[in-house]
Amino acid sequence: MPDLERQLTGLAGAIDWPPTPRLNVVLPIYGEVTGLAGRRGWRRWPYALAAGVLIVATLLAYTPTRDVIAGWLNLHTTIHQEQHPPTPSPRPPGQLGSSLGLGTAVTLEEAQGQVSWKIAVPSALGQPDAVYLKQPPSGPSQGEVTLVYGHSPDIKVSGQTGVAVLVTEARGRINENFFQKMIGPESTIEQVSVGGHAGYWIAGHPHDFVFTDANGNFHDDALRLATNTLIFDHNGTLVRIEADMTKAQALQIAGSI
Amino acid sequence: MEGRPADDSVLIARAVRGDSAAYEEIVHRYQQLAFRIAYVITGSAADAEDAAQEGFVKAYRALDRFRLDADFRPWLLRIMANEARNRVRSSGRRHRLELRLTESFRPGDAAPSPEAVAVAMDERRRLLAMVNELGDDDRMVIASRYFLELSGEETAAALGIAEGTVKSRLSRALARLRARVEETANA
Repeated sequence: MPDLERQLTGLAGAIDWPPTPRLNVVLPIYGEVTGLAGRRGWRRWPYALAAGVLIVATLLAYTPTRDVIAGWLNLHTTIHQEQHPPTPSPRPPGQLGSSLGLGTAVTLEEAQGQVSWKIAVPSALGQPDAVYLKQPPSGPSQGEVTLVYGHSPDIKVSGQTGVAVLVTEARGRINENFFQKMIGPESTIEQVSVGGHAGYWIAGHPHDFVFTDANGNFHDDALRLATNTLIFDHNGTLVRIEADMTKAQALQIAGSI
Repeated sequence: MEGRPADDSVLIARAVRGDSAAYEEIVHRYQQLAFRIAYVITGSAADAEDAAQEGFVKAYRALDRFRLDADFRPWLLRIMANEARNRVRSSGRRHRLELRLTESFRPGDAAPSPEAVAVAMDERRRLLAMVNELGDDDRMVIASRYFLELSGEETAAALGIAEGTVKSRLSRALARLRARVEETANA
């Protein structure tokens, strides 16, 4: 190792970092549907809810002692849990897509009234069966609109969610630095062109999607169906189409916008 | 296995099943790293604290998307660093990172003379001052690699750049730092 690098390495133990504060991490018992019990533990949610309430009650009763013990052990962490409504079953009795944490159910007109861009509705899919709007802070800075389709010719309906196709739109751009890294080894990524706009076809089972929203904030979003996904730029709006579809089907849907 | 810390993957699997104590252990294990990378990016202890807190909540919510066969640190660092950058953006200000040496640090040999300690400390202070004077990108990549001792993959995740870019950026940063060191030595 060259001398300068050795000197820098030698500084590692000498930096006077600010003391690590006691972090006050407030955890939801059930996050939004992107949260823990949502996809893995949905069958057990009634039990988990009961257990969660018990945990909260125990934590509330136990907090002073925990803090004291944390002080003795120098554990600069305070974990709280907030009780949220349980994550619904993936086959909810309510509106299509209501279990997917897509935001608030609205009409297409209401969604259009809340966002600055013209919501693109693929004519190949027609009018959506449900529309959701997610606003900050859980959504990106200028909001996010998701069109949910329960049926589409030649596209398999998810056995868990009852959803065939999701079309999600938000103002922003793909963050190239993270995009490739986030995809994971089980998925493949291919650059495509959609009506002259840059896009990516991701085959496999991607779960995450990072993009930079209109205000330049990084937004880490879940791909809800973990199926093949087409992502492309549509005049400054990032459009994601998720479905158990082929690339040709995806390009056809995208081309109908 | 009694007394041996659980692997990250074991804790994560437990946390995903709703075991809050497991997640508390994860937070405890990584809070210092999370806070420090956020501090390197924001330059502010208060902003770093907020970013680390929010980052751990976001990581919890995304935990079921984490692949258990993957390395947890880069994944967590990416979330923390994103949160820190978002704070810098939303506040519209970036505090200038000013790293300092701890006064109690005793460099080098087992029993150096007070004079040797003073000289070594002085050299280190000067080197750190030169690092502080570098541009943001140079300072952050050096702090990540050498002071936080992150791997190339972790640095890439934290700084939001490709691993190859970490190497080239680090190389340029070291060249600029070396030039300053030589300038000072020749002055």
